[in-house]
Amino acid sequence: MQLSPSPITQAKSDAEQVNPGAGIDYGLFLDCVHCGLCTASCPTYVITGNENDGPRGRIYLMRSVTDGRLELGNEVRRHLELCLDCRACETACPSGVQYGKLIEPFRVAMEQPGTARKTDDWFHRWILFRLFPYPERMRAALTPARWVQWLGLDRAVAALGLLRLLPPRLRQLVEMLPPLPKAEPQLPEFLPAIGPRRARVALFTGCVGDAIFRPTNWATARVLQQNGCDVLVPRDQACCGAIHFHAGSSEPARQFADANVRAFALDDVDAVIVNVAGCGAMLKDYGHHWHDSSQPAREQLASKVKDISEFLDTLGLIAPQGEIPLTATYHDACHLGHAQKIREAPRRLLAKIPGLKLKELPEAELCCGAAGTYNLTEPEMASQLSRRKMQNIVSTGARLVVTGNAGCLLQISREARQQGEKLWVAHPIDLLDLSYRGQQPPL
Amino acid sequence: MISSALLSVVDELQAAVGRENVLAAHAELVVYECDGFVIEKNCPDVVVFPRSTEDVAKIVRICNSADVPFLPRGAGTSLAGGCLPVGGGVLIVLTRMKQILEINLRDRYAVVQPGVVNVWLTNALKGTGYHYAPDPSSQGACTIGGNVATNSGGPHTLKYGVTVNHTLGIEAVMADGTIVQFGGPAEDPTGLDLTGVLVGSEGTLAVVTKVWVRLTRNPEGVRTMLGIFDSAEDATNAISEIIGAGIVPAALEMMDQGILVAIEAAFHFGFPLDAQAILLIEVDGLEAGLDAERDKIIELCLKCQAREVRQARDAAERLLLWKCRKQAFGAVGRLSPSYCTQDGVVPRTKLPHILRCIQAIGQKYDVRIVNVFHAGDGNIHPILLFDERDHAQVERVLAASGEILEECIACGGSVTGEHGIGVEKISFMRKLFNDNDLAAMERMRLAFNPHNRLSPGKMLPTAGACGLEQKHPGRRAAL
Amino acid sequence: MTAVADSLPLTETHTPPDQAALAATVADAYLAGTPVYPLGGGTSLDYGQAASRPGIGLATTGLDRVIDYPARDMTITVEAGITMQKLSDVLAAERQWLPIEVPAASSATLGGAVATAFSGPRRYGSGTLRDYVIGISAVDGGGMPFKAGGRVVKNVAGYDFCKLLTGSLGTLGVITQLTLKIKPRPAGSAFLACDLPDLPTAERLLAALVNSCTSPAAVELLAGPTWRDNAALGNATAGTVARLAVGLEGMPGEVQWMLGQLASEWRSLGITSSRLLDDERARQLWSDLSEFPASPTAPLVIKANLVPSRTTQFVELALRIDPQASIQAHAGNGIVIVRFAGFEAGDVSRSLIGRLQPAAQAAGGNVVVLSSSLGGLTRQAIWGGATAATEWMAKAKRQFDPKNILNPGRFLYDNL
Repeated sequence: MQLSPSPITQAKSDAEQVNPGAGIDYGLFLDCVHCGLCTASCPTYVITGNENDGPRGRIYLMRSVTDGRLELGNEVRRHLELCLDCRACETACPSGVQYGKLIEPFRVAMEQPGTARKTDDWFHRWILFRLFPYPERMRAALTPARWVQWLGLDRAVAALGLLRLLPPRLRQLVEMLPPLPKAEPQLPEFLPAIGPRRARVALFTGCVGDAIFRPTNWATARVLQQNGCDVLVPRDQACCGAIHFHAGSSEPARQFADANVRAFALDDVDAVIVNVAGCGAMLKDYGHHWHDSSQPAREQLASKVKDISEFLDTLGLIAPQGEIPLTATYHDACHLGHAQKIREAPRRLLAKIPGLKLKELPEAELCCGAAGTYNLTEPEMASQLSRRKMQNIVSTGARLVVTGNAGCLLQISREARQQGEKLWVAHPIDLLDLSYRGQQPPL
Repeated sequence: MISSALLSVVDELQAAVGRENVLAAHAELVVYECDGFVIEKNCPDVVVFPRSTEDVAKIVRICNSADVPFLPRGAGTSLAGGCLPVGGGVLIVLTRMKQILEINLRDRYAVVQPGVVNVWLTNALKGTGYHYAPDPSSQGACTIGGNVATNSGGPHTLKYGVTVNHTLGIEAVMADGTIVQFGGPAEDPTGLDLTGVLVGSEGTLAVVTKVWVRLTRNPEGVRTMLGIFDSAEDATNAISEIIGAGIVPAALEMMDQGILVAIEAAFHFGFPLDAQAILLIEVDGLEAGLDAERDKIIELCLKCQAREVRQARDAAERLLLWKCRKQAFGAVGRLSPSYCTQDGVVPRTKLPHILRCIQAIGQKYDVRIVNVFHAGDGNIHPILLFDERDHAQVERVLAASGEILEECIACGGSVTGEHGIGVEKISFMRKLFNDNDLAAMERMRLAFNPHNRLSPGKMLPTAGACGLEQKHPGRRAAL
Repeated sequence: MTAVADSLPLTETHTPPDQAALAATVADAYLAGTPVYPLGGGTSLDYGQAASRPGIGLATTGLDRVIDYPARDMTITVEAGITMQKLSDVLAAERQWLPIEVPAASSATLGGAVATAFSGPRRYGSGTLRDYVIGISAVDGGGMPFKAGGRVVKNVAGYDFCKLLTGSLGTLGVITQLTLKIKPRPAGSAFLACDLPDLPTAERLLAALVNSCTSPAAVELLAGPTWRDNAALGNATAGTVARLAVGLEGMPGEVQWMLGQLASEWRSLGITSSRLLDDERARQLWSDLSEFPASPTAPLVIKANLVPSRTTQFVELALRIDPQASIQAHAGNGIVIVRFAGFEAGDVSRSLIGRLQPAAQAAGGNVVVLSSSLGGLTRQAIWGGATAATEWMAKAKRQFDPKNILNPGRFLYDNL
C-alpha cells in the first residue's frame, strides 16, 4: 500500500501521453452491468479476495483510467498485470462481457513507449521474447538441460539448494522443465491418411510446444491419420505470437501472425489443427487484433483454426480399441474452456477409450496458474494456484491427469513433482494415441 | 482527501491486521465505491481485509475510538446498495475469511466464515446427499455472510424457505467491538431469537463473522416441467390452481413473451416464440409421489388452457432450463442497451392483477417491460427496457418503476422480496411502515448500534438517510 | 394447567375488545408504572420465573378474529387471541394447516404459542413457528402499537420483528395480530414404531435416519412410564428402554412407500419387529405426543436443546437421575423434554444445575424449565447461565420496554 502520492504523480507524466483505453471500443465497457457474478470465477480474486484483482474490479480500473478518473499508477498497473487472462469471467458473465477484448488491448497499450514497461526487463527481452518463440533456439537451449537431467545433475542441484541462487523467475523456469524425452525427429511435411480419406488438414506445431512436446505433435499427427486425415505440416510456420501479445508487445506478434498467414495459405485444407489451447485461442483471434490491410487474410486463417479435440469430435472419432483400465481426471485449460468454449468435446473423446474412467475434477474451471508465461512472470500467484489445483486433483484419486494445453501440462507436472505426487500428466491426444497403438501410460 | 485522523486509523489498522490487509491508496479504493447498485457511489476511506473474528473486533474498536463510520462487505453483489459506504470510513471486506470450518452431517449443520461463496458450500457437500438450500441466482459469487445480511432467497425458497430458515446461529462482532455468539449448532437457543433479527439486518446491527447453517437432505427425485401458455392470465391462473390443489412445488417461475425471445436467442432451448408466457415448474421429493404430482400439474395446466406441457427429459435438459432462467437477465442485454429491474412482492393471487397493471403502466409511460419472476412466491421482477442516453426515457422508467412498486404495496405486498432495502429503497420504507413501526426499528438499531457508526444511512429512513432522489435507474443483471 | 390466579400476582384482569383498546390499556399501565401480564389461554403461565410485582392481567382472548384468509395465497391473518383449535378448524375447511402442535389447543392461543415459541413433534419435517410467522403486530411497553413483516411470504423490508417477538415471552410487546404462512394438510399420516433394548441402539437408528430414503414428519424417542403403557403404541415388549416412533406424512402412496422402506431400513439394522400405526391409532399418538409437555402434577418438566447426536446421552443421564422420569425427545432436532416423577428442591442445584445444564451446554445447547411445582426457582435454574448474548437481549428489552412493565422478572434478562 502506498500512502504517499509520489508514485502516482510520477507515472502521471508518462501516462498522460497516451491513454491506454483510447483505442478500446467504449461500448465494451458498458456491457458490464457491475453485477459481480464473475468475481468468484476469477482465480486471482479467489486467492486475494481483493476486488481490484477480480474481473469486475479490473474493468472498473480500466474504465476509470480511460475516463481519466484514475491515473495509470503502479497500483492499477499491478492489478492489471496480475490478471491471468484465463477468461473464466467470460464464462461466468451473464451479460456477455468480452473481457479479453478489454484487458488484452489495454495491456498492449500499457506497454507502449512513454510508460514504465515491465517488458523492458531482461527476462522478457531475452527469455520470453528471444528464446521461447523460436523452436530451434529452444531445442538448442534445452540440449544441456537434457544432458543434465540424463546425468541426474538436476536433482543434485536441487538437493544442494543451488537453484536458490538463480533469480526467482529463472528458477521457476528451471523447475518447470519436465523430464525431457529423448530427441525425436521433426515431423515430415506430409503424413497420409490411413484408410478412406475423410479430411485434409494442416498441423500447427507451435514453438515451445514443438521443443518440449514433440511426442505430442507426433501423437496428434498419428491420431489424425488414424481418423482418415491427410496431414500437412508447413515448414515455414511461426510462433502464434501469444507470448508477445499477452505481454503487451503487439508488433512482433503481428509479424508472427503474418508469417503464419503465409505459411498456412493452403486453399485445399479443411482445417488448421492446433493441439495447444493457448495457441489455438490466439490463432482464432487473429482477425480481431489488428486492423490493417492484412486483416481479411488473418481472419480467413482464423476461421479455419480448430482445436484437435473440437475437430475430431465434429468429424466423428473412429473409436480406438486399446483398453486403458485407469481413472483419469480432466482439467479444463482456460484457453480451451473459457476462451474457445470447448469443454465437452475432449471429454467425449476420452469417453471413447475402452476401460478409461473419467472422474470430474472439483474447480475444474479454475486456472492452474500456468496461463501462458504467467507462471514465469508472476511465480508467487502461480504457485498458489497450482497448489490449489493439485489439492483438487489429489481429491479425485486419479493418477492420470489430462489437459489440452502445454502450459497446464508443465505447470501441473511441476507441482506434482514438487509435492512428490506420482501422476502422469498428458494431453488427451497422447492417451488416444496410446489406445490406438494398444499401449499403456507409463505410470 | 485523507485527514490526519484517518491517517492514524490507517496506521493503527496496519499495525492490527498487517499492511497487506489494508488498502488506503485512492487508486485501490475506487472499485469499492459501489456494489451491484451503481446509481449512488461513494469511496470508502480505507478498505481492510480481516482474516479472523479477532481482526474484525480490533478493526471495530479502532473505528470506534477514532469515531469513524464502518460497514461490512462480502462479494459486493447487492442490488440495493447494501455495501455502499454512505459516510465513507472503513469498509470491512470479509472475502479473506472464507473457510468452511466444519461440516457435520450427523447433526445436519455446517459452520462457515462469512466470506464463503454460497456455491462453495454446496460444492463441498457434493456426494454427501446434502446441500445448502438457499440458492440465490447469484450463488456462484455472493457470500454466505452477505446472504445472512440480506436474508437472501432464490428460486427454491417457495418450498425450502429463505436464509433465515436455514440459519442456526451467528457469531458477530457487535458495534462496540465485543464478540458475541447467538445460537449455535443446536436448535432453540435460550432467550430472544437475536439470530433471527440479525439475519436480514443489512449490516446495521453487527458484523457477522461466523454462521451455523442447517444442511438439507437432497430430494430423492425431481420433475421439471415447462408449461406453455397463450396468455399470461392463463399462466397465472395455473399457478393459483396448482397451489390451490395443495401442491407446493420446489420452484415455480414465470417468464413472459418478451423475455422468452431474448432467452431463446441466447440459449436456443426451443421455446415457441409466439407463446405469451411459460411456467417453469419443479417438484421434488420422494419418487413414490412425484409422478402423481407431475400428472396433476399437467392436468391443471391444461385445464388453464396451456398449449402444451413439456417435461425435462434428463438432467442435462433440466440444467439448461435452469440456466435459461438464472441467466435470463443477462440475455436481456440483447433486447435493449439498458434495463432496470424491480423486486416487488404481491400475494400470489394478485399476480394476474399486478401483471395487468405492469402492462398498463408500461403503456402509460411508453416503456417496454418484460417479466421473469418467482411466481410461486409472488416475487415479481419486471424488467424495464430503455436507453440510458435518452434522458426523457430515463425519467419515464423511474416513474414507471415507482408506480409498479406503489401498486405492490397497494396489493398488500412489499417493495423487496430478496434484494433488501439498502440505500435504493429507503424512500419506500415510509410507504410500507408507519411512524410507530419505524420508531420500533430505530430503537432496535439504537439498542445494538447506538452511535450509528455501523452502516450509517442504510435501511431506515431516519438518522440522516432521507432516501435517495433517484436520477438514474440501475442496470442490473443478477436475480 | 395452573389456575391464573395461582401463578400471577394479578390485581385485576382486562380483556380489551380490540387492538386499540389493548394498546390504550398498556399505555395507561406505562404511565402508572404498573406491571402488565399478558394472558392467552393461560396454559403456559408457569413457564418462566414466578412474578413478584403485582400488576394487571391483559387477556387477548377478546382478540380472536380472522382478519383475512386468502387460502390460495396460503397465508392467514388473525388476531393473536384466537385459540389454536379455532385456527386449526378455520384452516381445515380449506384442507390447510399450521403444523405446530401445542397442548390444550382448545384454550391455548396462537399469541401465547408464538410468545413461548412452542413446538411439537412435527418440527422435524415442518419447522417451528419462527418459520411460519411472516407478519406481526404488537404493543410495546410504552403502549405504542407497531408492526413488522407483512402479508406476503417473501419480504425483506425492515428488521424481522417476527423473529424477535417469537419466544420473547411477552417481554418486548403484547402480540396482537399475526400473519402466518400455512401449508396444505397432507392426506396420509401414519407412524412406524419400534421398541429398543438400550440407548446405543437408539443412537444407531437415529444416525441411520439422517440418511434414510424416507422423509419423516417427526422422529420421536420416548422413554419412561408414560410411554411404556401408551395405548396407541401398545404395551412395550419386555426389556424395552426406549421406543422410537417415526411419523410419516404425505400423499397416501408416499406414506405407504415410506412405511415399507423404513421397515426394511430398520431390518437391515437388526430391528426385526416394528409396528405400524395408522388411522385412529396414529391420530391418538399424535395427540399424546402433543399433550405430553403439559403436566399438571410433575414436580419438574424441562426442555433441553442439543445437537441431535447427543440426544440419547442426555436421555440416559435424565434416566440415571430419575429412573421413573418420562421423556419425549424430538430426536431429529435434539430437543429433549423430561417430565420428572421425583424431583425435590435439593435436586435443583445438584442435578439440574450440577449435571443436566452442563451436559446440555457440552452438547451445544442449554436446559430450560417448562414448568415446576417446586417454586422459588432462580433465573439460573430456569434459564441456565447468562452468556454474552444475554446482555444484548437486555439491550433490546430496555428499548422496547423502558419501564420494565411487560412480564417483569419472568424472563432471563439480567440488570434491567
